[in-house]
Order: sequence, then structure tokens, then C-alpha cells
Amino acid sequence: MRLLAIQSLAVLAGCVGILYAPHLLAQTKGDPEIGAGIAARVCIACHADDGTSPIPNTPRLASQHATYLVKQMKDYREGRRTSEVMGNFVGALTDEEIPHVAAYYAAREAIPGVVTDPALLAPGRALYDDGNPGSGVPACSGCHGDEGEGTRRFPRLAGQDVGYTLEQMRRYAAGERTNDRGLMQAVADRMSEAETLAVAQYIASLTVLEAEED
Amino acid sequence: MMTRLVCLGPIALLAGIAAASPPVQPHAPGIESPGYVWNAPNEEQMIALAHRADPANGEEAYAVCRGCHQADGSGRGDAIYPQLAGQHASVLIKQMVDVRAGRRDNPKMHPFVAEWVVSSEEVADIAAYLAQLPIPPTNLKGEGTDLARGESLYVKDCATCHGAQGEGDAAEFYPRVAHQHYSYLDHESKLIRDGGRRNANPEMVKAIKGYSDADIAAVSDYMSRLTAESRPE
Repeated sequence: MRLLAIQSLAVLAGCVGILYAPHLLAQTKGDPEIGAGIAARVCIACHADDGTSPIPNTPRLASQHATYLVKQMKDYREGRRTSEVMGNFVGALTDEEIPHVAAYYAAREAIPGVVTDPALLAPGRALYDDGNPGSGVPACSGCHGDEGEGTRRFPRLAGQDVGYTLEQMRRYAAGERTNDRGLMQAVADRMSEAETLAVAQYIASLTVLEAEED
Repeated sequence: MMTRLVCLGPIALLAGIAAASPPVQPHAPGIESPGYVWNAPNEEQMIALAHRADPANGEEAYAVCRGCHQADGSGRGDAIYPQLAGQHASVLIKQMVDVRAGRRDNPKMHPFVAEWVVSSEEVADIAAYLAQLPIPPTNLKGEGTDLARGESLYVKDCATCHGAQGEGDAAEFYPRVAHQHYSYLDHESKLIRDGGRRNANPEMVKAIKGYSDADIAAVSDYMSRLTAESRPE
């Protein structure tokens, strides 16, 4: 009886494996062309088809790492990251659709950001490159790259919208955004308002034009 | 029952406020506690030491350290961030595990090496990656004014464990001290002498108990000048 139970379990596990494998592939590989159709239906009203946005405090998505975009969409859908608007749109996307949308925006050509206060670029760069040892702020470049290019583990920052960066830093510091293992909460909590304003300007000034492969 | 609930109200409120601040480093018993055993066996250290370390994965996982300890592991003498490149993997594992567990107090570093950021296996991967990095060519040295005293103190009290050339001892978890930043050696030696470095080896505390600040400065300066070529293996 016990043997039979073990055998059935093994067969069941095998079936689950077979069903799960293509599903896993679908989660990690997206097709930008399929993604374009989904984005046209769900995303472009706010994020435009080139990943920029006329709406204030909305992130620029062009050339963002696909792994990051997939994670954020799933986090919004499942409530690990909250937003007054995103939940409604992302909630309609399936596990199969999300990687396609991510691949679409990851493949968009990067567009240079908009600096609104050039006087802050020098102090922003100092903090981005060297951090602040006194308060324990690490250099942003450590995780996000010297040019803000990001990696498959950390998002691209280059050219990001100033208002969006500031709003995210505020949310991290307040503990309202916690879907990053707490790293940015520690960082944002240690940064002064002047440092945050300056680094947001410097990030907007960074231009990495080629999309990095994940 | 009612009183208890009333009492819990403010505690719940405090917990709510605490959730908005980053999680704090835990606190584990250290040298200040009776029965303290230096480098006592513990589960996480055993997992990390037994892990077949992957330096390539370590390089990727090291990203969260790079913002302070630099891409080449050279640290920053001006900021008292230690040089990690070329340090023994066993030493790096022990120190990371001790910070994670709260045996070594470092609230600034903790959020970046916490168990929810880096796995026990990645601790070993990062350590293996750093251990094989070349020792950076430059470091912060002291004023160079008291090197004879530094040398005699080093030979008398330090060389037995840390090696004649400051090479340390991987098997014994004794750090390499050669070519470390002067500021870091000075800062940590004072902490160890004064009981603030809670994961310290009591043998070392005993060895430098009678040191003045000037003695510590002299021996730290001497160690910072030991040559980079003394790397073992």
C-alpha cells in the first residue's frame, strides 16, 4: 500500500514537472513583438509606446532590465508593491503575458532623461560615486553601476524621471515600498533631503544608450 | 485579561512605528557575557564553510558590498572601510556570520549583509571571490613616526598568531593584517582592547590590554606597511 502511494506520488510529481517546465520557460523568456500588442492594450496610455511618459512621477521604462520589470509587475499584481493605479492594469496580465511586456519595454531604445536643476549635478555625482561614509550611505554605483546601467539583479537608473526617483525614495524611507529586501529602505533612511534631490538629478543626467543584455 | 489588552495597546502601536524603520541588527551574546567562547561552532558558519564556494556567483553577490568596499575590494582608509581583497575566506565568513548574528556590532553594514539579502551559501561565495582578488597596490598608512616601537610590539605580541609577515592563519580564522588600512587596524584594535568588539578573541584582548593609544597607533602603522607580497598559498 505504501509502495503504491510512493509510486503514485512519483508519477504525480513527474506530471507536475512536465506541466511546470514550459510554464517556467514562459516566465523567463519574453517576445517583444507579442509584448507590443499587450502594451498597446494595457500600458501605453501612461507609459507610451517608447517607454517615456507625459505624466509626472511616472517611471521611464525604455531599456530597463526585463528581470526587474517582470518582478515589479508581479509584485504589483500580488500586492508586494502598491500603487493607486498600477494594480488595476497589471492585475489583468497573466503570468504568460508579463514577460512579453517586459521584453517589449526592455528592447525600447533608451531616451536621455531631463535634468531640471543642473546646479545639483556635482553633489549628486559625488554621492552617486562615493556615498556618504559618515551616515553609512553606500555609493549608488556599487549596485546600479557606474553609469546607472543596472544589472540583472538591480534596476537601471540612467535617465530616470526626477519626480519618480524622488517619490520612490520617499516611499522607501517611509517603509511604503519594501519589495527589495529592505536595501533601499536602509539607504533612503540615511540620506538627507538635499542628498536625495541631488542624486535624483544626477541619475536623470546619466545616459546609457545601449540596452544591456540580461 | 482586560488590563493585559490595555497594556498591549501601546506596544502594538510601537511595533507599527518600528515597521516603518529599517530592521535593526540582532544582538547575540559576545565577550561581555559569562561563558563566552571565541569562534564557538555555530550552524551558519558550518553551512558556509562546508559550501563548495563559487567565486563567480560571489562576484555577482558582492554587488551589495561594492558601494562601500569598492569594486576591487580595496575598501576606504578615509572611511574606516577595511580592505577585503586577499583576506582569508575563513576570516571573511566568520566576520560576516558574526555581523549577521549580532555578535559583532555593525548597524551600518547589517542591512546589506542580512540573511534576507545574502544567503549562507552566498556568504561563502563572496568570501571565496574576495580571497582570490589581488591585494590592492595602495592603502592608508600611519604617520610613520614610531615604526621601531610598532615593530617591537608586533614581534612580541602579535606575530605568534598573525604571522611574522602579517599573513594571518586561515585555518585558525586569524585575519591577515598586512597592508590593511591603518585607520581600520587602529580603530578595531582599540575596540578590541576596550571590549567594544564583542566577537573578539579573549587571547588578543589579554595581549593588548596594557597598550596605550600610542602603542596601538604604532603597531597599526607597522602592520599597514607589511608588504603585499607576503600573501600565503
